[in-house]
Amino acid sequence: MGKFIRTYLPFTSNSLKQNMAYKGAFYLNMFCSIFAAFINYYLWMAIYGSAESGVLAGLSKNEMVIYVFMSYIVSSVAMVSMSRAVGKDIQKGDIAMTLIKPMDYRMSLIAQSLGTMIYRFILPGLFVWIGLEIYRVTGLGLPAVRISNILLFLLSTFLSFMIYVLFEFCFGMIAFFTTYIFGLEMAKTAVLSFLTGQLIPLAFFPEAVQRLFDFLPFSSMLYAPVMIYLGKYTGSTLMFVLARQAVWVVLLYLLGSLIWRQVVKRLIVLGG
Amino acid sequence: MIQVEHIEKEFVSPKKYPGLKGAIKGLFSNEKVHKLAVDDISFTIDDGEIVGYIGSNGAGKSTTIKMMTGILTPTKGKCLIHGVDPNKERMVNAKNIGVVFGQRTQLWWDLPLSESYTILKEIYNVSDEDYKERMEFLNEVLDLPDFFDKPVRTLSLGQRMRADLGAALIHNPKVLYLDEPTVGLDLVVKDKVREAIRVINEKYQTTVILTTHDIGDIEELCSRIIVIDEGKKIYDGGLAELKETYGTRRKVIMEVRAVQQAKDLDWEQILGKPADTFTVEGDEENNLLSFTFDKNDLQVSDVISAVMNEAEVKDIQIQETELSEIVKAIYQHGL
Ligand SMILES: Nc1ncnc2c1ncn2[C@@H]1O[C@H](COP(=O)(O)OP(=O)(O)OP(=O)(O)O)[C@@H](O)[C@H]1O
Ligand SMILES: [Mg+2]
Repeated sequence: MGKFIRTYLPFTSNSLKQNMAYKGAFYLNMFCSIFAAFINYYLWMAIYGSAESGVLAGLSKNEMVIYVFMSYIVSSVAMVSMSRAVGKDIQKGDIAMTLIKPMDYRMSLIAQSLGTMIYRFILPGLFVWIGLEIYRVTGLGLPAVRISNILLFLLSTFLSFMIYVLFEFCFGMIAFFTTYIFGLEMAKTAVLSFLTGQLIPLAFFPEAVQRLFDFLPFSSMLYAPVMIYLGKYTGSTLMFVLARQAVWVVLLYLLGSLIWRQVVKRLIVLGG
Repeated sequence: MIQVEHIEKEFVSPKKYPGLKGAIKGLFSNEKVHKLAVDDISFTIDDGEIVGYIGSNGAGKSTTIKMMTGILTPTKGKCLIHGVDPNKERMVNAKNIGVVFGQRTQLWWDLPLSESYTILKEIYNVSDEDYKERMEFLNEVLDLPDFFDKPVRTLSLGQRMRADLGAALIHNPKVLYLDEPTVGLDLVVKDKVREAIRVINEKYQTTVILTTHDIGDIEELCSRIIVIDEGKKIYDGGLAELKETYGTRRKVIMEVRAVQQAKDLDWEQILGKPADTFTVEGDEENNLLSFTFDKNDLQVSDVISAVMNEAEVKDIQIQETELSEIVKAIYQHGL
């Protein structure tokens, strides 16, 4: 275990450093996404304003405010993309350079993503979060979030991160079988913003569709931690949601191993 | 010990047609191009050998190395590196080997070299004492301290190559694969890299397999060469034997006073050999008269004494066939 940490920790600390070094791109990105979050916020306020009932799909207007910003935080913290890097490594053959070493390629990628995740948790994560809580107490006049909810939210967000990263790994591997990763990436981003609940809380979808979502990993990527934060899950439902996240971690891990084995068998490292 | 048994690699790629029309045609056609890059190659290499693996461009050298290092699965056959099949037990094999691909780096592009080394130390589980000892040695033979704190992407080609070679040796591998380790290096760095390879081989009995297009690498390092051509092995043996067997051509160059006059003598008669066994050339500008012949037909000493009888000789130079010429001949015709 100690060796494991010592092996992969440098990847984490390095990606943390790199995130700090390439600040410019990051701030631009952050600005765009927070802008999008605000658009989303005003949109929902307009919808609630014209709705007859104050509660839509089980969410009150105030809860919706929290939903919008918490889902923004989770999406930037947990959804650390690496499929493009994986695709590039495969297509350029750089992957061979990890194959000649006694190390696990996926583990090194997860360690790297962890660095990015930690960075984003602090910036913008913590700042937006604290801002939101202040607004919640002073602006909306609600009681502050409970400590237990915070802890469960953090656990669930970490599981979300694992699910997303393991999913990304599988997705990046697909680059190996197609040459059109760019188009797939675009499609993925669009589809994910729907299926994870980033755009619209999943409770707004028809019952039948929601049942279908229960069998997909996407709701576990973002919807679960946000709803936990809102205190919408309790008791056995809460346990079930967390367990389902854990199951997805295991399943996607196994799926990734399976695809990886196929990829290594068929890998053709160009050049030389 | 390294055993390579009837290893074969066939690349299958979709057939491409030229032009836009071709691109569209390619979308609908299912035709495949088969390329047998490595064709039934077998050899064994003992511990501590330095073997030159050579062949013309596209002969299949890199493909073989890739299969031996476990990054490419053979279509047929197998190899065992110290009893381990690299394609079945990649992780186990990886601990035993060090690899340098001259064309790309195994270091982390954005990290300072020192950090790349620290990561490698952990990956290979090198103890602190071993690491210290190894680094002292590597610093000495490769001059790493000059650029140890720079990010890898800022290193010059020669620095990067030395860094890569060092990286491949941190864990004291049993086998070292070098795919064109001297490509693009200046003479001084090239010497350093060769020296390092030699010292490592002597000190640790590391088996080295080296591909190169630089005959100097082979002459200075290898005791054995394996030559492949179009995926097939065409020569496998000692370097000395190769020279002995195929390097029998000799050239004697003499500085004489009247070149033209000396050249026009009846050498067939003087040497007592038919005219097709030797050639005489004269270079009037430099006053040089040269004889080229096979040492199985004529003795160098006979030629020299014959010439000295006929003309006033000021200087003599004897040339053996250069290895590069032998290798060129092998590439062109096979043997
Ligand atoms: N991925 C691939 N798909 C199709 N053909 C390939 C592929 N990789 C290599 N080849 C072909 O296989 C042959 C051997 O290539 P290889 O890279 O092993 O040559 P090499 O001996 O290393 O040559 P060089 O000295 O130029 O580096 C070449 O003809 C090459 O075109
Ligand atoms: Mg090559």
